[in-house]
Amino acid sequence: MASTACFAIVSKNDIPIYEAEVGSAPKKEDLAYQHQFILHAALDVVQDLAWSTNAMFLKSVDRFNDLVVSVYFYLYNNIVFFNLMTHARFMLLHDSRSEDGIKSFFQEVHELYIKIFLNPLYLPGSRITSSHFDTKVRALARRYL
Amino acid sequence: MDPLRSYLGRLLLEEITPVVMVLTTPLAEAACRKSGLSVVDMLSPFSLFKKIDGDSPPRCSPLPIIVCMTLVAFHSIGFCDLMGNPLYAVPVRTASDQPYRLQMFKIRMVYASDVRKQDYEVADQRIKPVVSEANESALPDLLSDPPQLEDVLSKPEAELCPLWIKKFNRALMRTLSFSEHETFDHPVACLLVVSSKDNEPISKFVDLFNTNQLPSLLNEGIMDPQILKHYLILHDQQDGPQEIAMNILAEMKSTLGLNDCKLLCINSSTEADGADAENSWLPYIKDFMQDLASNHIIPYMEQKIRVLNQQVATTRKGFRNQIKNLWWRKRDDVPEAANGPMQVFAVTLFFFFNRYTFTSIESQIRVLGDYAFMLRDYELALSNYRLLSTDYKLDKAWKRFAGVQEMSGLCYFMLDQSRKDAEYCMDSAFSTYLRIGSSGKRNATRCGIWWAEMLKTRGQYREASSVYYRVSNEEPSLHSAVLLEQAACCYVLSKPPMLRKYGFHLVLAGNSYYISDQKQHAVRAYRNALFVYKQHPWSYINDHVHFNVGRWYGVLGIFDVAIKHLLEVIACSHQSLTTQSMFLNDFFHFVQSMGKKFDVYKLQLPVINMPSLRVIYEDHRTYASDADVNVSESIWQELEEEMIPSSSIVRTNWLEKSPDLRKYKDSCVCVVGEAVKVRIELRNPLQIPVVVSCISLICQLSTSLDASSAVNSVLTTGAGEDIANTKPAISTFEDDGNNFTVSKLDIVLGGSETKSVQLEVTPKVEGILKLHGIRWTLSDLLVGYQYFEFDTKRKTKKGKKGPRRTLSNTLIVIKGLPKLTGCIDHLPTNAFAGDLRLLKLNLRNQSEYAVKVCSNEHNFWSKFNGTTQFEPTTTNHTFKEGFQKTTRSSEPQNYFFYEFTLVRLLTETISKVYVVICVPYGPHTRSWSMDDLLVNVAKNIKMKLSHPRFVIPGDLSEVDFEFPQCLRKHVQSEISTVSTKRTQGDAKGLLFTFSQVFPSLNVSFAIRMCSSRLKEYIVRMDILNRTPSESFILHQLSCNDSKWAISSLPLCDSIRSIETVSANQSVSCFFKIKDLGTNSCKEAENSSCRSDMLFLSREGNSNTEEFDVSQSPITNFHYQERYQQGRLAKGPRDLLDFILISKAVGGNYSKSDPDVQLLSHHVCHCSAIDQSPIWWFMEGPRTVTHDFSKSYCEANIQLVIHNTVQHNISARVVTYDSVPDKSQTVNLQDSNSNQGGWYDVSLENDIKAISTAKGTHYQKQPSESISPFVWCSLSSSQVDLKPDTSTKVPLKVCIFMPGTYNLSNYQLQWKVHSSEVGQVDENQRSGGGQGHPFYVTVLQDA
Repeated sequence: MASTACFAIVSKNDIPIYEAEVGSAPKKEDLAYQHQFILHAALDVVQDLAWSTNAMFLKSVDRFNDLVVSVYFYLYNNIVFFNLMTHARFMLLHDSRSEDGIKSFFQEVHELYIKIFLNPLYLPGSRITSSHFDTKVRALARRYL
Repeated sequence: MDPLRSYLGRLLLEEITPVVMVLTTPLAEAACRKSGLSVVDMLSPFSLFKKIDGDSPPRCSPLPIIVCMTLVAFHSIGFCDLMGNPLYAVPVRTASDQPYRLQMFKIRMVYASDVRKQDYEVADQRIKPVVSEANESALPDLLSDPPQLEDVLSKPEAELCPLWIKKFNRALMRTLSFSEHETFDHPVACLLVVSSKDNEPISKFVDLFNTNQLPSLLNEGIMDPQILKHYLILHDQQDGPQEIAMNILAEMKSTLGLNDCKLLCINSSTEADGADAENSWLPYIKDFMQDLASNHIIPYMEQKIRVLNQQVATTRKGFRNQIKNLWWRKRDDVPEAANGPMQVFAVTLFFFFNRYTFTSIESQIRVLGDYAFMLRDYELALSNYRLLSTDYKLDKAWKRFAGVQEMSGLCYFMLDQSRKDAEYCMDSAFSTYLRIGSSGKRNATRCGIWWAEMLKTRGQYREASSVYYRVSNEEPSLHSAVLLEQAACCYVLSKPPMLRKYGFHLVLAGNSYYISDQKQHAVRAYRNALFVYKQHPWSYINDHVHFNVGRWYGVLGIFDVAIKHLLEVIACSHQSLTTQSMFLNDFFHFVQSMGKKFDVYKLQLPVINMPSLRVIYEDHRTYASDADVNVSESIWQELEEEMIPSSSIVRTNWLEKSPDLRKYKDSCVCVVGEAVKVRIELRNPLQIPVVVSCISLICQLSTSLDASSAVNSVLTTGAGEDIANTKPAISTFEDDGNNFTVSKLDIVLGGSETKSVQLEVTPKVEGILKLHGIRWTLSDLLVGYQYFEFDTKRKTKKGKKGPRRTLSNTLIVIKGLPKLTGCIDHLPTNAFAGDLRLLKLNLRNQSEYAVKVCSNEHNFWSKFNGTTQFEPTTTNHTFKEGFQKTTRSSEPQNYFFYEFTLVRLLTETISKVYVVICVPYGPHTRSWSMDDLLVNVAKNIKMKLSHPRFVIPGDLSEVDFEFPQCLRKHVQSEISTVSTKRTQGDAKGLLFTFSQVFPSLNVSFAIRMCSSRLKEYIVRMDILNRTPSESFILHQLSCNDSKWAISSLPLCDSIRSIETVSANQSVSCFFKIKDLGTNSCKEAENSSCRSDMLFLSREGNSNTEEFDVSQSPITNFHYQERYQQGRLAKGPRDLLDFILISKAVGGNYSKSDPDVQLLSHHVCHCSAIDQSPIWWFMEGPRTVTHDFSKSYCEANIQLVIHNTVQHNISARVVTYDSVPDKSQTVNLQDSNSNQGGWYDVSLENDIKAISTAKGTHYQKQPSESISPFVWCSLSSSQVDLKPDTSTKVPLKVCIFMPGTYNLSNYQLQWKVHSSEVGQVDENQRSGGGQGHPFYVTVLQDA
């Protein structure tokens, strides 16, 4: 498991709708904002890449020192309406290099996210507050990262 | 883009230039000092030779002099135009035969003492002022608003990257000057300066170069000491005539060389000789420098290039040389590998110190390359660098390798070809520098800056910024901060602008600035980043940025801005405890430093929950206690259904609005001297306890109506965010002690705690009170305030559903009135349907105005006593005692109380309990509320339908609308007795509900007319006990009217012994009722015929008191029941009402308990099952004694016919002499009996049974025989009956023989003459009936 990992789902307007520190390292107060900074800054790169690639999984789009940002791009270029509706980006800040694990992690979280999304009471683009989702994501992080 | 025109190109042209080492004697230096300059300072301005287009005279400015001078020099001839008419660039010929021109040439003049590698610390100290200087210029910017997105995007590059940053870059690179592995900083020439005042100038020249002051580079053999020397004799014309200097010059020329000696005359005169005097010696310097550059330095370099090139070509170029070179190097490697570590160390030392002396071929190649670079022969330079790089690589001399790579990268750039190669070279140089550790870091920085500039020139801003970022990692914090800021600028300049990266790098830069104690810069960097993060809810980022900006502003002493930023973060609920306390501590610290309290609009600590705002004031509905304020309106409406008049009527009544107040029709009302309460929730978002003090309302009370309306209009125009601006300043809302007082509340909000506070404002004068907002003091340091948001739209929308009492901020203050509150102790928590309870109501006058209870007080209380008196002896006792204790007049703040009885409704479905108590309610008494009642009930039961509330304000004339009939009657009667003198008597009602009313007894009655007796009825009473465990003792059955008499049936006396109805038991009993009529008194005197019937108790007489149902309160309750049940009854027929009084004897009630629980059940509007419009019965002697021997017997009998309906009836009696057919009659009755569960107990059968018992043999009479009696009057007679009258038809019968005869063989036919056709059933408009049995016994007179 990665010692540092910060997972975030960022909605269309660059608003984080879900954030979780899933690393095994003890949480440091002053790092919380740093991770946010890195993820937020990485959005610039993601934005650039989004229109130039069809791949959903973009590994190591950005890095800050030894921390790497990987992105699972949840944007279906071929399904226009869905794209408009969701445009969510899964961003993971990590220091491990296990690419397969990260990819699997993203795919599983994607499934969870779709479940959340199908919930008629969930307003797309609003913050995900489901504790179930949170627990599942953390479990996945332990398994794959 | 032409590389030479780019920034990097110019940078290289200015920085990588030949160095001239200057050696001076102290006297020469002193001569210059007179003009305030050192020798280098004096010469440097003239060391830049630039080709400029057109003819521009050199500018001369006051010291330090900067002169741009055009060099017009043919290198072999040395002719120059003195006044600098620039025509040509310098043609240069290096290795190739083709000469070319230099556009610009610069010589760096450096003291010999400075030609050495600088200490890092010293160098860094020199850089620091560059940054600090910029600090001062940044300060005014910090006070302005932070830049916005548009500002940043529209800024040109130069503004984004200000001049001082470029200066800083150069300074940073200069710290690397005179390093060992690069030769472009090595002096090309040496200028020896001797003053004309020196003794023996010639020897001085020799001494200068021979002393140990020479730089270590020369002494250690890294540089060739045999450099070009140039001798200068400096002459100050103040010191003597020029001839002395000329002589020395001639001497020098003869000894040191003809061309290498020069004389420079200066004039240190301070005499005001005009501009000419000052400038007179400047052309000499210019000339000198031109001569030095074009006649000596450039030719020297050209020559050296050619020599070295030749040398390199012979030793290194060509196949043979390459093989040889490889072999030699390999052989050098062999001992390294073969020997031990010590050997390796030794060899390394050798390599390091001795390998690359100036004589080594590698150094010479490097010199060649650098000279070529300086003379812009980049191709030559590049080829040499490439040659050299392989050598160094093989030698593993990484620093030198990197240096060479760096230079070749720059060559590629200057040649503007092969970008890829250039980048590759820079990249490898950069990484190689980094690899060799700390000694290469600064070189890596320089390399990085060049690289980044190169990328910027080519528009690759993103790559440039990442290079800057990499460089910044290797530098101390101050340098890294500047570099990060440049990286950030690059992100903005990239297409499209990467603003998030920009923000991030600015924040990083700011952090580094802060670490290196450059707070202004730190704030500036963060501020510039603010706009990036403004809209996005990345909570930690926002907190970090605002907190740091705020904190640093605070450190700089700009407290107001600091607090503004810190306000953004103090309500951070997502942060940890330590962070929160850190934020808060800093915030408080700066607030304290401000030294004064100040107001903050919408302070986030604590959070005011605006939707929770409730304004509690007096309105026509709020008579309830404060605790009931939050009860939903629908519950009240359910409870008050039909109980209260419509609101508009009431309001106009008791408000007594003056015309002036009309426009405030929708406003609410409060009373002078009574607090208006505002309830609102405060939430502490932090985990730290917060002290909130002086929470109070911001109010405004205007006594003048016009003025207040003006203010009102102003206030309503302002909407949304502007409200803070349009509202008057907070200071105007300071507690106005004359008009009103506001309560101040101090609370401590624990971590994450939500508290609901109740604030009060007590108006003192009449007028218009406006509630504007709430104000509080946080930790005694700063005042927060917030205005209430009254949503007018919402108010009107809700208005349809019912009056709201929360959403208006304008209140009319009316004059003071007394206020009564009441409460009931020990309210029972549950009850059976029909329970009668005694309750005690305590009243209290809360206001400071006395209540004038009643003018004839005694009368009131006694009457009141009467209404509530209830006759069980046990309760009666305490009841009276209670009244004796009563304080009759209510002084301010005094208690008075009395007791009364409470009754519930019979039906289980409604759990309301009405208690109408009559207390004087007039202009002086205004409202009541029940304080404790709800609390009591709520504690015990926790049911929702448990809210007592006073209702029925207003006077009676307005009450009657939709007000229950029975209640009104009751109220009216009381009013008439209580307040006789008051024309406008008012009454108050109390409404209680029990939370649970259990079903008790089901009582139903079936009434059937007794066919044999007029106005007599047989009644069956069915009682079903529906409780699971309770038993009830039947106590008394009463009719509502005294004209009815209840008696048991003659042979069914046993019903009187029915005593207890156990749980789930069902009991039926029969009895008889008789209409005594209003004027009938014969039987009324008989004690056995009364309207009340007691059920006998086996235990004697202890419980046999009879309750007088005609007295209050039972009669009141009965009115009410009757009203309720009457609404459900159909048709006009009703006969009588029954009241059954029972006692509960459940587990909780022992029989000796004085507080025996009484229940009353009311069944109203009972009517007979079958009822014809007329009644009739025979009246006459039952027994006749006659002597048949004389004649037949004549019996005179009367048929009494009674009209029961309200119409005229014509009735016809038809007699016939045949025996009536009994079976036919029975059938008729059967068809009419349609009541379920009630089988017909025929009266005939009864009577027949009686007759049989008497032994008559009438039945056996043969039917065909001649009738033993005949009617002897007319066979039919017709009578007309008026409504509700009786008439008697005389009949006569002739009896021929003794016996018992049933005189029922007649028929009665009637017809109803109704004026209104629809009122009577068609079936009953006309009809007929057989005669009732009437037995006459005729006895033979003995």
